[in-house]
Amino acid sequence: MSRLARRDLLRASLAGLFVPAVACRQRARPEMRDGRVVVTFWYAYGDLTRKVLLDLVEQYNASQSRVVVDAVHQGDYYECLAKLRTAIAAGAAPTLSHLVCEVVPYLARAGVLEPLDAYDGAHAIPFVPALAQAGAFEGGDREPLVAIPFNRSTPIVFANAYALQQAGVRPPRTWDELESAARALTRRSPSGEVRWGFEVPISWWYWVAMVGQAGGRLVESGGRVTLGGEAGEKAIRFWQRLVSEDHVMRPPPGRDYQAWQSSNESFLQERIAMMWSSTAFVRYLENNARFPVVAAPLPADVRASVPTGGTMFVLMRAAPDAEKQAAWDFVRWMCEPEQTIAWSTRTGYMPVTRPAVQRLIERGWYVGHPNDRVAYDQLADVAPWPWAPDLFRVERDIVEPRLEEAVLTGRDAHELMDEARAEAQRPA
Amino acid sequence: MRPRAPWHPWAMLGPTIALLVGFFVVPVGVAAYESLFSWDLLTPPRYVGGANYAALAAHGQLLNIALRTLGYSVLVVAGTMTLGLALALLLDRPGRFYAFVRACVFSAYVVSWVAVALLWMWLLDGNGGIVGRLLRVLGAPPVAILGDPRWALPALAVVGVWKLTGYAMIIFLAGLQAVPRSLLEAAALDGAGAWNRFRHVTMPLLAPTAAFVATTSLVTSFQAFDVVRIMTQGGPARSTELFVYAIYEQIFLDLSVGRASALTVVFFVMLLAVAGMQLRAWRLRGQP
Repeated sequence: MSRLARRDLLRASLAGLFVPAVACRQRARPEMRDGRVVVTFWYAYGDLTRKVLLDLVEQYNASQSRVVVDAVHQGDYYECLAKLRTAIAAGAAPTLSHLVCEVVPYLARAGVLEPLDAYDGAHAIPFVPALAQAGAFEGGDREPLVAIPFNRSTPIVFANAYALQQAGVRPPRTWDELESAARALTRRSPSGEVRWGFEVPISWWYWVAMVGQAGGRLVESGGRVTLGGEAGEKAIRFWQRLVSEDHVMRPPPGRDYQAWQSSNESFLQERIAMMWSSTAFVRYLENNARFPVVAAPLPADVRASVPTGGTMFVLMRAAPDAEKQAAWDFVRWMCEPEQTIAWSTRTGYMPVTRPAVQRLIERGWYVGHPNDRVAYDQLADVAPWPWAPDLFRVERDIVEPRLEEAVLTGRDAHELMDEARAEAQRPA
Repeated sequence: MRPRAPWHPWAMLGPTIALLVGFFVVPVGVAAYESLFSWDLLTPPRYVGGANYAALAAHGQLLNIALRTLGYSVLVVAGTMTLGLALALLLDRPGRFYAFVRACVFSAYVVSWVAVALLWMWLLDGNGGIVGRLLRVLGAPPVAILGDPRWALPALAVVGVWKLTGYAMIIFLAGLQAVPRSLLEAAALDGAGAWNRFRHVTMPLLAPTAAFVATTSLVTSFQAFDVVRIMTQGGPARSTELFVYAIYEQIFLDLSVGRASALTVVFFVMLLAVAGMQLRAWRLRGQP
């Protein structure tokens, strides 16, 4: 074997180590069952939301005879994403899934999401602007359409109405009011038991809300990741003060959605009087609380600001065309007013189309369910996500662990954020 | 014994060598190679040299993971061996009652890590867990054990000890039963008390058993994943981020195959060093 041939062989062998990188090829044949195209839909919910989704899927499957949606539970959002990426790399991607906003630009850049611009009626669905790709991302309208709003939310305040009444406070409208309300709501029994005035998971989503409220931006218009600059540090210092100086806030144990769940449970058990959580839990909390639940918009600092949350539908580029068309049919069906209304009213997620909102107003839904109205009104203060492919890495690998470190160990916010900004500049 | 043909030993070793090469040497080699790239599984890999190692070493993250993993292993091995030996000595008696207690202690080892983790999450729950309540009764201030960076890792180590003690106890029981009664009786006749019989007869004869328990507990503790994944997900503030979980988090949650591979290589080198030290200790012990 010549030296050149040996070198070629070596190169080929080394390239083989990255086989999955070239495995994102399209599956040729659609999966069929009883003459119907199978849409494999990987979803990430539990409890009530899961039940409502499965009811809707069943309803869709019964409503026609061309497509059957096979909904497969894949854990929480992050677990679902982990499995999705691995499946894409292994050439075994599902047809349809749903993703948190922060990860959409990254997967779009990787070229694994199906561009939907050419799909029938893709630009004709009358979405609530702040919840669709065009409004949920800065410059989202300049990118190919890859994400369709599904379960969209914003963070809101939930408070125990009795506790507010007893303490003589109202839902806070500013950070200062939040601090004084949390003080007034905190109760310590002689046995050492504490009912905390305020609780919020120490996590990215809520921190992003506070960065916006303190007047900052995560990414500057030139693409430089600043993590809000002084505003990012101010948000951390505010948390540190509530936890370590005022002793009126308890950071819930656990990470990611475990912490969210823990907060919900503590709220229902009346171990906390007020918390920030997702509008997604409106129905769950109302149905399970032994006290009246009051929802309110997040308080402002120098301005009012909230990020959007929840997920968006995405079609996998590697799926066969027939499956993608079938998945699109399901997505459009889910965006019809009655399905949107069913999904929204049974869970607490926001209705994503204007006709659905209009019908809810006409039917007097918001009069009977004022808590549902809070998130919708708060859309006026939405800060869109930057269309930044690195955003998800910045969230998971750089910011999230440092937030916990700052609040739980008291490390200096400026030092930590400087470190985070330097890390964000480093190539992935 | 001499082989009939020179290739016979190789034929015997062949399957093991093939398995080791296929499932160990090659994967470690691939990981070492991939650690030099920035790669997210989906986009083409980009050569970055030692940047993945530098990124992990920055701010002491790599050192912290290594020290944390070692600390967890030391706690688990020490706790498992001490409790396992103590229980073996206490329960090395005939009778149905002792057999029942031995079975109870061993049962924890049979239960899956996932079930054990869920059980302990319930026990350690900050809101109404039994452990927290007991501590409060004893006058300790209320603390969310799994939510406190100072207590989360020791709590996971306690769970590890609880799970592995039954296994250690059974191995020590087998070792105790191999100690000749005649030696103990002779020592007793010579006037040795219970402590001296244990110190000078039982302990030396149990040394190989102890080495076995230490090695297997060490291996298990280094592999800790399920308990971290379920109970703390590496938190709070990365205080329970052990090696295997950190590798999982880098590759699957933080989208970085390169850094996960770099962690794997460092973990491999660390295990190699520990194994080397252990081997050296055994060899020195074997010398006259």
